[in-house]
Amino acid sequence: MIQVEDLKIHYGEFVAVDNLSFSVKKGSVFGLIGPNGAGKTTTIKAIATLIEPTYGEIKLGDTSVLHEPEEARSMLGYMPDFPPVYDDLRVDEFCDLFAHAYGQSATERKEKVDLALAQTDLTDKRRDLCKSLSRGMKQRALLAKSLVHDPSVMLLDEPGANLDPKARIDMRNLLRKLADQGKTILVSSHVLTELEDLCDEIGIMRNGKMVVCGSLDEITQSKHTQRTLEIELLKSFPELPQWVEQHATLSGLKETNESKTHFQIIHSGSREEVPEILSQMIGLGVEVTSFTTRKSKVEDLFLEIESGSSSFDQDS
Amino acid sequence: MNPLILKGIRENLRLKHLVAAGLFSLIVCSTLYLTAYLNGSEGKWDRDPITNDWVKSESSPVNGARNAFTFLLALQGFYLMFLGTGRVASITAEERESGLLDYQHMTPMNPLSKIAGYIFGIPAREYYMFFFTLPFLGHAILVGKLPLANIIQLYSVFFCSVILYHLTAHAVGLVVPKPRAASWVSRIVVLGLYVVLPGLGQAGISFLSFLTILPTYFGKILPILQRDGIEKSSRSVYETKITDFWQDVPFFNLTISPTTFTFLMQGLLILTLLVTGYRKWKNQSLPALSKASAFVIFFIFQFLLLGCLWTFFDKGEASGLIGQEFSANSFKGREDNMIGGLILVISIFFSLSLLFILCLVNICCPNRHLYLKGIQRVAKFNLPRIPRTADESSGLGFSLILGLINLFTYSALINLTLNSDFWVLGSSFLSLCIIPAAILFLTICYLQASREQWFNLGFWGFIGLLWITPLLASLVLGVGWGEENIGVILKLLAINPLSIIPIHWISENSEMIGLPQNLSQDFNSAILFGLLIAGLFAIILQARLFYLRKK
Repeated sequence: MIQVEDLKIHYGEFVAVDNLSFSVKKGSVFGLIGPNGAGKTTTIKAIATLIEPTYGEIKLGDTSVLHEPEEARSMLGYMPDFPPVYDDLRVDEFCDLFAHAYGQSATERKEKVDLALAQTDLTDKRRDLCKSLSRGMKQRALLAKSLVHDPSVMLLDEPGANLDPKARIDMRNLLRKLADQGKTILVSSHVLTELEDLCDEIGIMRNGKMVVCGSLDEITQSKHTQRTLEIELLKSFPELPQWVEQHATLSGLKETNESKTHFQIIHSGSREEVPEILSQMIGLGVEVTSFTTRKSKVEDLFLEIESGSSSFDQDS
Repeated sequence: MNPLILKGIRENLRLKHLVAAGLFSLIVCSTLYLTAYLNGSEGKWDRDPITNDWVKSESSPVNGARNAFTFLLALQGFYLMFLGTGRVASITAEERESGLLDYQHMTPMNPLSKIAGYIFGIPAREYYMFFFTLPFLGHAILVGKLPLANIIQLYSVFFCSVILYHLTAHAVGLVVPKPRAASWVSRIVVLGLYVVLPGLGQAGISFLSFLTILPTYFGKILPILQRDGIEKSSRSVYETKITDFWQDVPFFNLTISPTTFTFLMQGLLILTLLVTGYRKWKNQSLPALSKASAFVIFFIFQFLLLGCLWTFFDKGEASGLIGQEFSANSFKGREDNMIGGLILVISIFFSLSLLFILCLVNICCPNRHLYLKGIQRVAKFNLPRIPRTADESSGLGFSLILGLINLFTYSALINLTLNSDFWVLGSSFLSLCIIPAAILFLTICYLQASREQWFNLGFWGFIGLLWITPLLASLVLGVGWGEENIGVILKLLAINPLSIIPIHWISENSEMIGLPQNLSQDFNSAILFGLLIAGLFAIILQARLFYLRKK
């Protein structure tokens, strides 16, 4: 549904987005992750027709965002990373303004506004002035405003940034529900754990480039990806650190209790090597009571990429 | 109803606003109106021509209403032109800063509806306050026996000006990249366009005066506001002069009513601002004007300049209060003063044209970013080159054509002057045209090259250094060591192309003015120095631009 090809965006001399390509399937949730200045917001704004790219193509279905911006806009719902609202409008008036601007009749508007407010749990606040809302509530009012014209593509820049934990869970559930209804959602966030549970696919950006992109399983199961081995011993085994040092794919031994029976070891080899490591340890005489492979989380990946891990640079 | 106007009404006219703004307007308006009315209606003390005693005339409600009308008009102008313009500029800038404007960019509303929504929706409260002045206006018209036709003309121009000011404020908010700067720039632009430029109108370029409602007020309203029973002959000289002056506008060999001319002038500006607003609402990254619309606007501008200055260069008759002072008829037999007036008017013409070209070069010539975008698109679509009329294409040809249009107008004025029975010049057509033409084209070359290789700071910094700094240095030198450094001062002045015309014209007519020989040589050297500097910058910057693009 969203196709970005060779996107380049320059701000004067500065290259904000450099040769970015990715696609988002219809009815799925795609998460853009990256440190500040990675180019996430710029990318979302370009898709939202708010920034004209220096080069490249963006398509929503068959509609070119660059050549048919009016048509593209009618398909888009956009929520920026901070919630500007018309302070002196009531919440329902705020939503009604946009339903009206999208050409809906008075009856249609009322129906859509009621539905959007109910979806975002703002029905009780409908007559409140926007300026009296908390940041989280403003965020919801923005989401309601983005829903009133029933867009097929939703662009959400840091949607959970100002929400309390419950509201964040509600937002996540709502976005999942919208995706299940067939809406395509592109979301950026720094709350990485939130994206793990929400997104079907993620793309990690750094310095305007897409470093890694795909489904969570594809990324975390990648053979180049590091994983953490959590090991519990019956009793301490003093030779273990030396053995780890000699092992080419093991590193970062960390004792997690004082009795030296709980360890974490970083393994950077292939998945197939893991049973071999366990059997080698048993062969050494280590009394293993528990051996767990902790799947690398998106957050680990993110930190790895943010710190400039060479394996991802090679991939990209 | 337009959604944005409805939004403006909802935001600005809730019950508390209705009560507060309504009461405020009513109290201020009634105080002002009643004070002026009572003061005006009182009989005035005057000397009896027969007995030479002081006698008081009878009180007159007609005089009271006529006296109060001007105050009422000023209050209405304060609400809509001052408060309303400020509000449109600041809200547009605020919405741009906060990102609210992005939401509006994304709605599928027609750009013109969005513009209408902003300029009528944001000042909803000011229009509401204006509404409270209407009963007083009705009273003034009825009691003061003011002709309805004149009042309708005045208020048509009044609302046209209000729309123009609000549109200017809105366009500035959309165009100026830094939102905080937008509110300042809009104030400066409104002040410059509608206060400073109309001032220049008084020096002969009459069309500039028609950016305000003053010509219609002086021409159509002031004569009907005279105190009842007072003869025309007993009015003050200044009042008579100002009233008579605005009765018609000389344009080529025609005369046009001030109201019609105001509509023409303001219509041109409204058209320009609408084109800008439309483009910016359609796509934020587009330049404010396309090359084609810039041509049309510059052509109309030059046509208006030519039309207004026609009678001055042809018959020596300048319009404007100051202009009349240096009309040829005022200086019969004093040729040095006559030429002074001519140099002043031609300098204003040249400066205005060059500043207009500078603005259009700044708007329509692509910066490096836009040019790069064009190159990449050409590669993508396999085009041989960037289309000439595209925003991304090089602006050299465009800028040179602007120069040609300007040169054509300038030569027409020179030709008119040389064939006129009123002006006596000590130089030929060619000698008056070649130097200004050379300066004009060299300046255009370096303006275009600098615009296309630098971003805003670099471009305006360069213009500031090259045009303003030598002027300031010459000022210091002139005040401190003027007599011994006249040659240096003239050279510094000549770096700024706006100073070239007076320097060149004085040099060309040095004998008529009675300039000493050595001073005349200083003027000639200054012109050559100005040409040299402009030529050097044009060559260096064009070569650098060529090299950058090759790279």
